Amino acid sequence: MSTTRKRVYGYLAEFKNPSQLYKAAEKVRDAGFKKWDCYSPYPIHGLDGAMGLKRSILPWFVFFGGITGTATAFTLAYTTQVVLYPTVVQGKPANIFTVPAFFPIMFELTILFSGFTVLFGLLALIQLPRLNHPLFASRQFHRATDDGFFIAIEARDHQFSPEKTREMLAEFGGSNIELVEEEE
Amino acid sequence: MAHHHVTSKDIAIDGDHLDNSKVAKVKTVSMAIAAIGTVIGLYLLFLAPEATRGKFAYSWLFAFYFYLTLSIGGVFWTLLHNVSNSGWGTSVRRVFENVGSTYGWMFLFGIPLLFPQVQQYLYEWMNTHRAAHGDVKEHLHHADHLLYNKYWFMNRWFWYGRFICYGLGLTLVIYALRKISTAQDTDPNPTTRRLFQARFHSTYTLIIFALTITFTGFDFMMGLDYKWFSTMWGVYLFAGSALNSMAVIILVCAWLQSQGHLKHVTTGEHYHIMGKLLFAFTVFWAYIAFSQFFLIWYANITEETSYFLIRNTGNWNILMITLVFGHFVVPFVILLQAWLKKNPKSLSIMAVYTLFMHVLDHYSISIPERGISLGNIKPEIFGPIQTSLNGAFWGDIFAFVTMGAAFLFFLLRALGQHSLYPNRDPRILESANLTN
Repeated sequence: MSTTRKRVYGYLAEFKNPSQLYKAAEKVRDAGFKKWDCYSPYPIHGLDGAMGLKRSILPWFVFFGGITGTATAFTLAYTTQVVLYPTVVQGKPANIFTVPAFFPIMFELTILFSGFTVLFGLLALIQLPRLNHPLFASRQFHRATDDGFFIAIEARDHQFSPEKTREMLAEFGGSNIELVEEEE
Repeated sequence: MAHHHVTSKDIAIDGDHLDNSKVAKVKTVSMAIAAIGTVIGLYLLFLAPEATRGKFAYSWLFAFYFYLTLSIGGVFWTLLHNVSNSGWGTSVRRVFENVGSTYGWMFLFGIPLLFPQVQQYLYEWMNTHRAAHGDVKEHLHHADHLLYNKYWFMNRWFWYGRFICYGLGLTLVIYALRKISTAQDTDPNPTTRRLFQARFHSTYTLIIFALTITFTGFDFMMGLDYKWFSTMWGVYLFAGSALNSMAVIILVCAWLQSQGHLKHVTTGEHYHIMGKLLFAFTVFWAYIAFSQFFLIWYANITEETSYFLIRNTGNWNILMITLVFGHFVVPFVILLQAWLKKNPKSLSIMAVYTLFMHVLDHYSISIPERGISLGNIKPEIFGPIQTSLNGAFWGDIFAFVTMGAAFLFFLLRALGQHSLYPNRDPRILESANLTN
């Protein structure tokens, strides 16, 4: 008998097809679970609604990332072109009315900063990159990238119960229900 | 999912028809306004004292081209929906077609532009041409070398020929496409034949659309000042046209739904897509409008800068600044919200707002030229060159209301003629169950 105990990640249940997964997701959502997820080889339309997912906070990050880009570009162009070293071309003004000349760089930096915020904000929100995921311990889970449709309910969820959750998943049409334990 | 899955049981088998008796009153009133307004308008264009005629020619042109862009946009969305093999908008496609079908009617309001009595105030190049005795080209050679060089394009016969082509081209295109579409509604054995037919015929006709929006813009608007040119002009007008006909389409759909039509087939998802298109074209308009300004501002070529010099002199400057913020910054930030685009009511408010900005946009396109040209042509009647002419504003409103009433009448008439959505289109269920 081992002296160490393995940490339980949660239950993994397989569903036959996307529509079963969809229906089960609605039921799991209605049962009030919070820490759970669906796994499918391809995106399923409306699954986010069936899972009761809230809208991501990411757009707000991007919005403020974009504004930062605009402001950075304006400050950069204004400081260099107006304050430090005015470049007079064709008698055009070197003051705030030079702003049309700054628009391309303001536009570009808005896009660049937005793009960065999308990428890094997304990675932060989905906690990537990571080296391992507890579900990889499951032999059948590899099929989630091929032909398997899964729901995993984490043990961290305060509604989780070793018996009832298993029964519930079976009732919702889950098969091959497996208690996934984290690898050492 | 919030709404249930739509099946063929939910589709009105004989179509979803607008109750014509409900809109009869509005139609009568708008037709009366349009008819009386047109009669008075023709008087103001041809018989009134010259001081009025000159000013009103610009009012007429402003209103004419404003509504024409809305109609052209309707044709554009129909063509685009067909040619891109889209399924999302089948349930609202009939609205595209109905907005587009007003094109031929609205183009009739351009007929006064064919008469020299009106042209003399709008298109100064024609005055120079008419001043010739004998060989026009030889005359231009001495009178205005710029017009001599532009003679191959800017000559009266070619201009009249183009005018007829604009009028016939898109009228026939939208007539044929609408006919293909509506014939499906009553076909007892509807197949995919018409779908492919419409798709095929929308390909080359897109070229007719592009030529129409570009060259009507050149001939009617850019021609106001023959010295001026802009390579962004066609696409600038197109951006405003597509944007605002989408605004009209959104308003029509929202109104139809509030009257209990388009049931089951049009949902918040459709408004979301149309809202996204509204948003996209808001950005596109700003991109093009700024590019045009930027190119001209940077290059600083005398012929080109006149456009923005006129529009930044006096109070016109306020209008231009208003456009920057009102036509772009404000709707850009507001239309970013997804919930707003899914809600027909909030999206309709934005559509009305966008249309209002389109009015200002087109006002800034056509009207600032008035004080300059009239002062240039006949200073003894219109006074010296000035930024704006006193009292001319009322003519603008008058022409705008007249043609607005006509637009409303022809749109309601079109809506009442056939089913409000293509009820036997093979893609109607795909469209009704749209998620995005």
